[in-house]
Amino acid sequence: MALIAFYILSTIVVLSALFVVAARNPVHSVLWLILAFFTSAGLLVLIGAEFLAMLLVVVYVGAVAVLFLFVVMMLDIDFAELKQGFQNYLVVGVLVALALLAEIGIVAAAATFGGGTTFNANPGAATNAEALSRVLYTDYLLLFQMSGIVLLVAMIGAIVLTLRARPTVKRQNIAQQTGRKRKDAVELKDVRPGQGI
Amino acid sequence: MEDAQTLVVEYLPVVIFLGLAIAISLLFLVASSLLAPRKPDPEKLSAYECGFNAFDDARMKFDVRFYLVSILFIIFDLEVAFLFPWVFQVAEGNLPAFWSMMGFLGVLTIGFVYEWRRGALEWQ
Amino acid sequence: MAGLELTLGHYLAVSAALFTIGVFGIFVNRKNIIVILMSIELILLSVNINLVAFSVFNGTIMGQVFAMLVLTVAAAEAAVGLAILVVYFRNRGEIAVEDVNVLRG
Repeated sequence: MALIAFYILSTIVVLSALFVVAARNPVHSVLWLILAFFTSAGLLVLIGAEFLAMLLVVVYVGAVAVLFLFVVMMLDIDFAELKQGFQNYLVVGVLVALALLAEIGIVAAAATFGGGTTFNANPGAATNAEALSRVLYTDYLLLFQMSGIVLLVAMIGAIVLTLRARPTVKRQNIAQQTGRKRKDAVELKDVRPGQGI
Repeated sequence: MEDAQTLVVEYLPVVIFLGLAIAISLLFLVASSLLAPRKPDPEKLSAYECGFNAFDDARMKFDVRFYLVSILFIIFDLEVAFLFPWVFQVAEGNLPAFWSMMGFLGVLTIGFVYEWRRGALEWQ
Repeated sequence: MAGLELTLGHYLAVSAALFTIGVFGIFVNRKNIIVILMSIELILLSVNINLVAFSVFNGTIMGQVFAMLVLTVAAAEAAVGLAILVVYFRNRGEIAVEDVNVLRG
């Protein structure tokens, strides 16, 4: 039963990955990418890595894919033109892919994984996330803090790159608005008849 | 040790839910393509402009500001992802784990203060 | 045993296929940088599957910790990469990667 689920999911993953690189329209590519992420989350659930599967859905499907979709729709580009080289590079691409696959195959044939059929996604804990939490914050402290810094750099970099100041736009300053006193705004003038102000 | 069999059984509701969702959406797609009348002509397909022929496509470019919002979302999404398993350690009273997370949050708060001061959160 | 139960080999095979497709995508879509970035995401996904599969079948948790870090780096890379793309498009009005040679002396 698990094996049937595995074969179904892995077929969908591989096919959708192929469509990601082969689709004509980048919007379709992004949608295939979402399908690939979603089904590979299913693959991870199958071996009990539930937390990582949830993260794949939340981070990849929820954020990264949306980011890609925004960018594809933000730039109006003639995508047919970008697809031009596809036929030319196809032969080279297939050759490289085959060579890579052969290399991986040779390594896999030479190595022994000691692969049993038993798996344990949460050693020494009740749930997957708990097993992760046992080591993530203390044993891997430096890596954890470093990922925080990576996120900080990404955030600052993205702001520096894309944020444009728009000095011409007039904005509402609510504090200034409500803090305005009567004497700042209104002036009483005693106007004599027959004379201007 | 977990058995794949029990896992599949545990996730059976999810599988049923997904199957139903796929079946119903396929049903709508197939039904609308079979049943709905379709007589496309250029007037129907072009964008509507009052009084003159359409200048260009009805689709419009997105503003870059949406992109900035979604980047900031991605960063805080990951922050939340790291917060989830932390709950277990807080429940156990693991102080080093607690302070390690405080350091992580502190680093991201620096970024948050930066984007606030730069006005990246304002929709100008 | 083989053929009836899930093994590590099954997952490694899927991961190898995904990795190869990602590299293939980079080679084939030489002009379209958005699809190149998506191919990189596919490669990172295959790495994640590999790490998690090894971690789970060996009964150690480290692989999953590293998969989380890979996820972080992937998200940061997508954010900054696409930001660079947006700025490039703003300056040049197109995103053909072949013409990115302004810095060449």
